[in-house]
Amino acid sequence: MSTIPKSGINAKIPLLPERASITRVIQETPAVRTYRLVFDDPGMMAAFSFEPGQIGQMSILGAGESTFAISSPPSQKDYIQFSVMKTGVVTTAIHELSAGDRVAVRAPMGRPFPVNAWKGKDIVIAGGGIGMAPLRSLLMHLLDHRGDFGRIQAVYGARTPADLCFAGDREEWERRDDIEFIATVDSGHPDWSGSVGVVPGVLESMSPPPANAVAVTCGPPVMIKYTLESLEKLGFAADQVFTTLERRMKCGVGLCGRCNVGAKYVCTDGPVFSLRDLRALPDEL
Amino acid sequence: MRFIAEDAIPRLLEHLAGGGRTVWAPRVVRDSVNTVLFAPWSAGEPVETGAYTHLSAKAALLPPTERLFGFGYLQAAGEERIELEPEEPEESPVLFGARVCDARALAALDALFFPASGGFNDPGYAGRRSGLTVITLACTTCDSACFCSSFGKGPAETDGSDLILYPVANGFLAEPVTDAGSELVRLDLFQDSRLEKPELAVTARVETAGLREKFIDLFSDIDLWRQVSEKCLSCGFCAYACPACHCFNIFDEMSGDREGERCRSWDSCMFYSYTLETSGHNPRPEIAHRYRNRIGHKFSYFPANRGEILCTGCGRCIRGCPAGVDIREVIRTVQER
Ligand SMILES: Cc1cc2nc3c(=O)[nH]c(=O)nc-3n(C[C@H](O)[C@H](O)[C@H](O)COP(=O)(O)OP(=O)(O)OC[C@H]3O[C@@H](n4cnc5c(N)ncnc54)[C@H](O)[C@@H]3O)c2cc1C
Ligand code: SF4
Ligand code: SF4
Ligand code: FES
Repeated sequence: MSTIPKSGINAKIPLLPERASITRVIQETPAVRTYRLVFDDPGMMAAFSFEPGQIGQMSILGAGESTFAISSPPSQKDYIQFSVMKTGVVTTAIHELSAGDRVAVRAPMGRPFPVNAWKGKDIVIAGGGIGMAPLRSLLMHLLDHRGDFGRIQAVYGARTPADLCFAGDREEWERRDDIEFIATVDSGHPDWSGSVGVVPGVLESMSPPPANAVAVTCGPPVMIKYTLESLEKLGFAADQVFTTLERRMKCGVGLCGRCNVGAKYVCTDGPVFSLRDLRALPDEL
Repeated sequence: MRFIAEDAIPRLLEHLAGGGRTVWAPRVVRDSVNTVLFAPWSAGEPVETGAYTHLSAKAALLPPTERLFGFGYLQAAGEERIELEPEEPEESPVLFGARVCDARALAALDALFFPASGGFNDPGYAGRRSGLTVITLACTTCDSACFCSSFGKGPAETDGSDLILYPVANGFLAEPVTDAGSELVRLDLFQDSRLEKPELAVTARVETAGLREKFIDLFSDIDLWRQVSEKCLSCGFCAYACPACHCFNIFDEMSGDREGERCRSWDSCMFYSYTLETSGHNPRPEIAHRYRNRIGHKFSYFPANRGEILCTGCGRCIRGCPAGVDIREVIRTVQER
């Protein structure tokens, strides 16, 4: 049932984290900061590998541990990146960190997006808010292996232009002609010349063809709800649609019992689920 | 069979404790309310071989709060470093006076926490479990809350035990289950005996067959779950008393501002905060949602994932529930739907 992490974590003792250090902090939005970090053990860093969609647990020892999607792509061997929204105790402590500070990390965990099964297919990505973090990893991975996939269409939404993360990446995605990328905001701003409108609406206007395609969506629950409706309208079947679930987590390895939805554990059976798998779960989201 | 006299039990415990191992035994811990709990025993202390313990024996393997590792922030050559100090595994204890319902719950805990049984390497649990000796007291009587006859061989179950003691006049017949048990009965504290094994208790029964699927079918029937959990206060006692409940919380505790420890502690899915997310969203806001999860985990999810039911029919959650919730009535109501 469960996948025991094989690297980046002291697999002999799953609850014991590895020491790591922050190398860079990027202020993405007023509420979100991106942290780049490296394991203090160079051997651990060299051996670290993961797939897009996998998660990690970052600890500020003394404050606690929290779960984040890895937002860097697997090809990035110099650092691991988490993009953290400030909400509660641990994330507030994380927001006080700067380059050089010491943390502890357990990663990678969870099941990734099944990207190898998507080779040769068109890919549709719809992200909202901090839900873009795992999708950044995914999108960069797809672009690293551009020839393996068909058409790539992506929409990324936030409330206002100031709430959009990943400015540098967005510029590149907009510039490239091998991907159709639209950043959109719920409400505009005089300086904003881009799309105004919610993610599901923009997605529909891009009218991605469902034949031989998969769609991936992560974001706030309302956005997911309407995006799934839009995808259905566009003709996507439940086994063509993937999303990630969030549950409060502690152990991250299927032991503490906290993150179950029915008999499935978000930490080990997820966080990535197909819509078909989700529909088979008890309705307790 | 071998026999050990009642008055030889303290010497047996002294022998077991001889190598420095901790011996857990049922002891009266609070005279005033006659609370009997499993607790570390030391020479000279009385042991309760007749009474039921209010909580299960799981604390011997999964302490209510356990240190996972210590950590410190050190300054060296103008640089800050983190030190992590994993907890050294403890030596395996002896569990004396467990009941069949305690011993057989080990299979469920092992499936998660013990690598030899397909679980994770949980150094704390594994250290205590690897050389654990379980000496079980067979039940010749039961009370109105017991229902272990609903599961497997009921009171005659030997799973999880090394040695089973059957109460007879002035002492116990001793039946080894494992090599460790056979070794113990060779001690000269035991004598040969021609006595017959006593009749074991016959407890109440509930039908658990088909519950795994039935639960899934009835998951969305929220009125049913509200009805069966109507009296529940969400206090969490049932999880703490249960030999099979094992869910835990993890938290950090600082001592001073340079060092601290990461610990885990017993938790319960009956608590509102168990699944409360930072956004304020809670997938199980009502007691009915949480009680449903309790039943689902025990009788449907865990059996599907690990092949074990997370209930041994010990009745502790029934005896101790302050609101009178009876898990057997819940199972019967579900089965009758
Ligand atoms: C699969 C997954 C992926 C995620 N990816 C990201 C991401 O990429 N970026 C991002 O920003 N967020 C992400 N999150 C959300 C993120 O994990 C939470 O926002 C974060 O854990 C909040 O932690 P906090 O300490 O700031 O919140 P708090 O609510 O303050 O929690 C602090 C700590 O105290 C404990 N605590 C809080 N309240 C209680 C209580 N009532 N009772 C007992 N204990 C309590 C908690 O256990 C927690 O460890 C993800 C979550 C999941 C499940
Ligand atoms: S002991 Fe009784 S009241 Fe307390 S949570 Fe369990 S069922 Fe509810
Ligand atoms: S659920 Fe109740 S009866 Fe069953 S093992 Fe746990 S405490 Fe005992
Ligand atoms: S976080 Fe502990 S079981 Fe998933």
